[in-house]
Amino acid sequence: MLRQAKPKNARAKRALDKRAPQEHENPKMTLFVPGNKTTNISKLAVKDLAVLKKPLCMKFTQKNEIHPFEDPSSLEFFANKNDTSILVLSLHSKKRPHCLTFVRTFDYRILDMLELYIVPETFREMQQFKNKKAAEGLKPMIAFHGAVFENPNETKYTLAKSLLLDFFRGQEATGVDVEGLQYLISVSAEEEDASRPAPQIHIRVYRILTKRSGQKLPRIEVEETGPRIDFRLGRERFAEPNMMKDALRKPKGTEPKTKKNIDTDIMGDKVGKIHVGKQDFSALQTRKMKGLKRGRGASDDEEGTVVDDLQGHPSVEEPPTPKKGRY
Amino acid sequence: MADAEMGEDGGIAIRTVDSPPTAGKLAESIDAGAMDMATPNGAVSMVESTASRLPVTVNKPTPFTFDLGNLLAIDPNPLPRDADEGILAATARDAAQGLINQLLTTCDIKSTSDGVVLSLPPPTTPLPREKPIPTEKPPTKWELFAKKKGIKDKKREGKMVYDDASGEWVPKWGYKGKNKDGDSEWLVEVDENKERETGEAGDKRAEGRRARKEKVRRNERKQRANERNARKNG
Repeated sequence: MLRQAKPKNARAKRALDKRAPQEHENPKMTLFVPGNKTTNISKLAVKDLAVLKKPLCMKFTQKNEIHPFEDPSSLEFFANKNDTSILVLSLHSKKRPHCLTFVRTFDYRILDMLELYIVPETFREMQQFKNKKAAEGLKPMIAFHGAVFENPNETKYTLAKSLLLDFFRGQEATGVDVEGLQYLISVSAEEEDASRPAPQIHIRVYRILTKRSGQKLPRIEVEETGPRIDFRLGRERFAEPNMMKDALRKPKGTEPKTKKNIDTDIMGDKVGKIHVGKQDFSALQTRKMKGLKRGRGASDDEEGTVVDDLQGHPSVEEPPTPKKGRY
Repeated sequence: MADAEMGEDGGIAIRTVDSPPTAGKLAESIDAGAMDMATPNGAVSMVESTASRLPVTVNKPTPFTFDLGNLLAIDPNPLPRDADEGILAATARDAAQGLINQLLTTCDIKSTSDGVVLSLPPPTTPLPREKPIPTEKPPTKWELFAKKKGIKDKKREGKMVYDDASGEWVPKWGYKGKNKDGDSEWLVEVDENKERETGEAGDKRAEGRRARKEKVRRNERKQRANERNARKNG
């Protein structure tokens, strides 16, 4: 591994510390690697995807003899060397035309892979749409359409969803400027049907146009800005369960603390449960009646107990149950 | 309270602001440049009536689910077979509308000098990390001992220390350090007891230096041992 060498100066040490595992991670970098043989279409697709990914991506230009499903070690090496955990390898062959292999790594080892073949007939690059594009480097809105992505089992489509979401989502943010909600990446797939080939994944990028609706919320319209890519699905490699479990682990202390006795009902109202302490009935002043007066002969220390025998005061009998109130 | 501003295309947008950061105002800030009139009374309501009929709600058989931290909308409704570009654009529009409705209605909106900022909840879709969670460094032998004995770290009071003899502040260690006090004495006493034991007159000046060097070496030895143990157990 590359990490073995001890840093010789402070700058090198800082650089290595930056790459070391962090509790709150930097956004994932993407590396585009051309394989031994690529086509114009896959080059254009990579170029446009890189535009969408900017500035969280790197691009190689030279050919690399890599076949990830046979031997992924060079991809692992690239991931380590460049500190990129998403890799996209473009490779073309007769059997797998215009193929983009999306690879994700965890701890510089291959986590999962999926081959997506670009459909050349429907591919349109960004330049072919002659219109205003969204600004670069913005966090996109993402939409997934289709029931195939919601399969509870691990399928190629759920893998594609996870990979594409990870690929497109960009930097994690706690807030977003309203001006920055400029474009939507829509990923859609039709229903699976046994009599037909597996449905394609359509990737479309739209710019958001807002119109006044006369109401508080704006009316949204969309305008396609490209790239327009249809993918057929190829080979896949799912993540090993153990590795995925490690990768999905959350650092301690990041889960939001649940506040006791406060929750939200279906209407979105905040409901709190208040516990009132036990009431001291012995100190309660009830209605004064002649018959209940303390006799002359009775001793003074019986004073408090008399009240307990009283009947007919429901407010006194009420048990101290937790009360529900709104606030 | 009404304010007027020039839109991008030269149109003037007049708006009444009822409460500072509302979704209505927000819509305008997204929609910078459109010629908008949004006053409820007579003169401009004509413009409004042409624009007000646009529906902003999305009705789907299965409602969307959202992951607002990732700005993600999930539409579980099946897509019709052989969907053309029109259908794809329409479903995308619905998702965008639903997502923006959800964002504007459920997220906190803050107006700052940089613009109108929506605060997002943390992402909910589980996505794998890039690297494993950093493991905690195992405690060193000294840390274990100190914990057992209840020894707390000494508070450091800087590098300088007052020298009574010269009446000056001098560094505790390093160049002209206080720990090198006896090293440059021109005349030192010979320890007679030691001389009797070893048979030679020791040099106090050299001994101080030797002891310091040995202390450093010892510390490094312990450090290496701790690292070795951490590797073995961790």
